[in-house]
Amino acid sequence: MEIESLADQIVSQFGRLGYDVDRDEVIKRLKLLVLEFKVPEREAVRTVRNWVIREYEIPREKVISESPLVKIEEIKKPGEWVSLKAKVVQLWDSSSPSVSQVGLVGDETGIIKFVIWAKSGKEEVEEGKSYLFKNVVTDSFQGRMQINIGRTSEIVEIDEEVQSPREIEIVGALVSIQQNSGLIHRCGSCHRVMTKGICPIHGKVRGYDDLRVKGVLDDGDNFYEIILNEDNIRDLTGIDLNKAKRIASERLDRNAVLSELKKLLLGRYYKVVGVRGGRYLLVRKVDRIGGVEGSEVDRLLEVLA
Amino acid sequence: MNFRKREVARRVFAYELNRSTYRFPKEDEKSPTYVLTPLGMRVNRVYFVGALLDKDEIKPDSGIWRIRVSDPTSAVYGYVSRFQPDALESLMEIDVPELVAIVGKIRNFEVGARIFVSLRPEYVSPVESDVRDYWVYETARQTIDRIRAMEKKEDDDCKLAWQIYNPNLNEYRQMVKQALLSLKEGFVVEGEEGEEIEFEEEFEFEEEEWDLSDILKD
Repeated sequence: MEIESLADQIVSQFGRLGYDVDRDEVIKRLKLLVLEFKVPEREAVRTVRNWVIREYEIPREKVISESPLVKIEEIKKPGEWVSLKAKVVQLWDSSSPSVSQVGLVGDETGIIKFVIWAKSGKEEVEEGKSYLFKNVVTDSFQGRMQINIGRTSEIVEIDEEVQSPREIEIVGALVSIQQNSGLIHRCGSCHRVMTKGICPIHGKVRGYDDLRVKGVLDDGDNFYEIILNEDNIRDLTGIDLNKAKRIASERLDRNAVLSELKKLLLGRYYKVVGVRGGRYLLVRKVDRIGGVEGSEVDRLLEVLA
Repeated sequence: MNFRKREVARRVFAYELNRSTYRFPKEDEKSPTYVLTPLGMRVNRVYFVGALLDKDEIKPDSGIWRIRVSDPTSAVYGYVSRFQPDALESLMEIDVPELVAIVGKIRNFEVGARIFVSLRPEYVSPVESDVRDYWVYETARQTIDRIRAMEKKEDDDCKLAWQIYNPNLNEYRQMVKQALLSLKEGFVVEGEEGEEIEFEEEFEFEEEEWDLSDILKD
């Protein structure tokens, strides 16, 4: 982003709080950090904001209370300070000592990944409980949005139960099955998918087998990236993990499972029920569409008449 | 992020596809190719279900296969080569005729003064007849939506389609109707006549002289 527009963001942000910040000074400092010192934009903005807060003696509470309450579906840009009420939907195993907790939170509009940094010193959140996450920073990681909970954030448990995300139903054709589908290896400690026996975090470790399909469901207007787990795959194809392993050992090729799944699944229509979680649709239920009702055809014929 | 958003696979009957001769100018070298259909839709990728009628290697050992695939409205041509390994692999296993689903890019190419439309499949997969039934229904529904948008003349691409193609909407309504009726048991569709035959002759005749690189590459 342009330095000037970054500066305007900062100036207007503090303007809303009633502080008239010197725009030229903000631009000067941003330029020094970004252009001279090659500091990433986000760090530069943070640094300048902190400088403004000190320089104008703005009380912390004011800044914290300033971050607007948003719904998850509104979180689209990285580097914004927001607050949200959300329920902890899923906790994952933390993959790094610098992360205290990681998982998914949801509200009625969607699901988003959250990261609580160990440095933040926050108390742990529990699955199924609802919280007000105050003053968290939006971020994007590998193309997906997430929220980061750091030192200046607050987590307050709330009595009201935040609604679960709305499930959506999509009927579409499976137009693509992506890499890393079929019979895969997962890391024993973090469950990440391993390539060639190597976990991206833990290196060469013992893994375990799993069956999944990462695919694209397309309804002609939109596409949805979906992940089918072993249960989904078994329901649709009759191939479970054991059968997949058998196919792989008979043909001496783990990729044979992927070819087989492609043959059985690609190009067909499915009805999928699930919630949007960032980039992926988290599938709860999937069914094959078997043809079309005669009454539906008649309805279209009437429209044409 | 600097990755391009995936292109949605549009649902278009062969009748409309074959008439989609206008190609949008490219914004830059890497931008995807879009063609405009007579009903005002911008298309890059399609999902098509129909009967694979022919597959022929255009020259012996060329490794380039021409396919002809037909839905209830018309037949469309496609080219598969080693640049589409998944499509080529499955195509080799299929005996014609067979019902197939194809996901692929749409390509325009010129022969003399005429512009032809073809598909460049990313994959070809044999499917069951219920898939075809649903595709015909869904494609009919989405084509009807396009006809309505054309009636309104609000959308920029619709305005452009009026300007370029000036389509007879009744002809398209009739085409959709035929496709839907084909789902009724015992109903035989007539399909297109005239234009199709002429098209095919020219197609066969000048094939050798084509520069195919344009249709086959990304």
